[in-house]
Amino acid sequence: MAENVLEIRDLSLSYGDDDIVRNVNLSVKAGEILCIAGESGCGKSTLLKAIHGMDAINVTAGDIVYEGKSILGMPASERRRMMGTGIGLIPQNPQGSFNPLRSFGKQMKETMESHGMKFDRTEMVRLMDSMGLPDGDKLISSRPFELSGGMNQRVAIVFSLLLQPKVLLCDEITSALDVTSGKMVIHEVESYAAHSNAAILMVTHHLGIADRIADTVAVMNHGEVVEYGPVSKVLYHPEDSYTRMLLEKIPKIRREAVS
Amino acid sequence: MSSTNDVPVLEARDLVRTFHSKDREIRALDHVSVRLMPGKIMGVVGESGSGKSTLIRHIACLEKPDEGQLFCCGQEYTGRNAAFAGRHMQMIFQDAYGSFDPKMCFAKSIREGRNGRKGSDGKKAEDDPALLRNLLEKVHLDESFLKRYPGSLSGGQCQRMSIVRAVYSGARILLCDEATSALDVASQAQVIELLKELKEEYAISMIFVSHDLGVVSQLCDEVMVMKNGRVVEHGDCLEVISHPKEAYTRELLDAVMEVGDETGIHEHSHSDTPEWKETDLV
Amino acid sequence: MKKVISNKIIRKRARRRVYVIGALCVLLVLIAIFAKQLSPHDPNVTSALLIRRPPSKEYPFGTDSYGRCVLSRVLAGAGTTIFATTVLVAVTFVIGTVLGIISGYYGGLADTLIMRVTELFLAFPQMVVAIAVAGILGGGLKAALIALGVTAWTGYAKIARSHTLSVKNENYIAAAKLAGLRGWQIICFHILPNTLFPLVTNALTQIGTTMIGISGLSFLGLGVIPPQAEWGSMINESRAYIQLAPWAVLYPALATVITIMLFNYLGDAVMDLRKAERRN
Repeated sequence: MAENVLEIRDLSLSYGDDDIVRNVNLSVKAGEILCIAGESGCGKSTLLKAIHGMDAINVTAGDIVYEGKSILGMPASERRRMMGTGIGLIPQNPQGSFNPLRSFGKQMKETMESHGMKFDRTEMVRLMDSMGLPDGDKLISSRPFELSGGMNQRVAIVFSLLLQPKVLLCDEITSALDVTSGKMVIHEVESYAAHSNAAILMVTHHLGIADRIADTVAVMNHGEVVEYGPVSKVLYHPEDSYTRMLLEKIPKIRREAVS
Repeated sequence: MSSTNDVPVLEARDLVRTFHSKDREIRALDHVSVRLMPGKIMGVVGESGSGKSTLIRHIACLEKPDEGQLFCCGQEYTGRNAAFAGRHMQMIFQDAYGSFDPKMCFAKSIREGRNGRKGSDGKKAEDDPALLRNLLEKVHLDESFLKRYPGSLSGGQCQRMSIVRAVYSGARILLCDEATSALDVASQAQVIELLKELKEEYAISMIFVSHDLGVVSQLCDEVMVMKNGRVVEHGDCLEVISHPKEAYTRELLDAVMEVGDETGIHEHSHSDTPEWKETDLV
Repeated sequence: MKKVISNKIIRKRARRRVYVIGALCVLLVLIAIFAKQLSPHDPNVTSALLIRRPPSKEYPFGTDSYGRCVLSRVLAGAGTTIFATTVLVAVTFVIGTVLGIISGYYGGLADTLIMRVTELFLAFPQMVVAIAVAGILGGGLKAALIALGVTAWTGYAKIARSHTLSVKNENYIAAAKLAGLRGWQIICFHILPNTLFPLVTNALTQIGTTMIGISGLSFLGLGVIPPQAEWGSMINESRAYIQLAPWAVLYPALATVITIMLFNYLGDAVMDLRKAERRN
């Protein structure tokens, strides 16, 4: 198998005076999907933000290594160039990352050109269509404030995929979506990983998603990884009591026994 | 429970509501009828914009329908105000914090829920400390919490408080609007258990609106599937979920991702590779 | 991390600013109340022998063209100006807020009526309406207050209405309706407590503007009738001989500027504090 594209070594993070994440070790290879699961406040989103380089988060110990190089020691300009095409992030709340008054097409073109890429309109329309956004041509010339939160979320995912990052960070990308469109989005992210040989780091509270697409799962609780391994082990033969609790408490669909 | 077991505690007949925006009309409710039998829990599922929340806001008289009738225990209450509906039914909201006045301590909010109105006998209900103590014990909240303000509790604790308020008010019908959707799995499981217990102990009937089929199937006796303001399928919960007749219901069920369902294991092996064009490769 | 710490500091600074400026404003009000005890002379006693004397030990701010002590008149004027402003702001705030909340909460016909009237008053510049009304009523402090009050309530009504609209759709209002509370009960117990703070803050920022309005009308001869001391009318009276006795204009003008600045700062400081608290 290939080298690890992204490695998190003994990472501890703090926000203000609070320690949020303690001694986390994780790694993803190209084409692999890692799901970080846990409940709200367990530190999973903070972890993603730290990888993406948000200023407010303090790295108190450890290292984040991308393609063999530590990204914590990188100069800011180099790191900025790497974001988007190297490491891409789909945020939980995409509204904040768009300019609400400029059309999607213009914003996408600008972003891609600043990364030295060519804007492919037909590809964008195709991606939108596969995520349940038909009539893409019209949508591209519309502006963010005209669309609902769920639609904006899906356009944000299209944006991130078009930049073709080698590592894609996804932060609760389906929480604003209905089940049917959520399924399409998950499907699209999964096929992106398979065909572009990209590594995916997906943060979710939804263990069903982890089971559906992940290769490895890390369960977090109170800032620590309590269980980490392949799906078949973590979700089907969990050893940690917290993981077992999570799995038990999910309301499963009750069906008549198949006779 | 009374002997009127065959009379629905709550009935809505042919509710219609149209919202007008600048350039178009939206049928939020399109001839929707509901019959809730005593002691039963009716689930209402659907995606956003299906009209499921609008439906219970109309039942609680917080909004007025264009057409249709509402009955409570056989008595018509169409066109009455929320104060009247509140004698019989209370709502539980998705945002537990938002359902309490941030400037009021829980004790005051909960008492207001019981004493705010005059009953049918023209008198205000008196405080019942024993009932309140019972309810708090039931939801595992200490009495000292009553002195606190909404911001100082967790989402799950706050939601349990709002259940205490609803039951303490004397209403025997609960209208739950995504009541567990914003909670962590552990709190969610706790609230579901709690609702089941209350249903038995206080003979409470419920309409439970949710997009989560898992929760609905765990809790509800009957289920109604809504799409674009219309009821597309309705029936016994287990029956509808096990043998859905409508394509839309099947689509909803298919989209649910569960740990250990067959599709999950199947897809997980990456045996069938989804389509991805040649040009997409870097 | 930077953000979190700076948030705390911002809040601390904002609070300190409110205390300091608030204390200065209280001092000003105290001076206005005890003006009589603090004045070295009777503000209304004229003397033909003391016309336009420059500032001296006995008359620290000099005297005006009637030989009256300018310091004593500035002190007496503080009472008039601050008292008139407080009354005006308080009355228009209560009327405007009540109308705004009724308009926002009930909507429908009440809303349409109140808002049309508000827009009618907002269509004319405030000072023009005030001059017209004060002219019709024929001068005097009472007339000036009515003239300014006629339009001043509209601003409070608009703001109260918009805050009410945002609170009205909260779930706890729905819960209160289901609890059987009547409209006025919901307004008193839920809407007022949750909107009052921003509304009062806004009223504080209006004190300075209102003061300018009162002094302005007096300056134009439509406010306080001489010989009652008021800063605007003092400036107007002494303006004619500004080359001979600049102190008679300078000191009431300085007092006006300082007072208006202080109250404006107080409004701003409270507003900043609110923003800082909200950020948490």
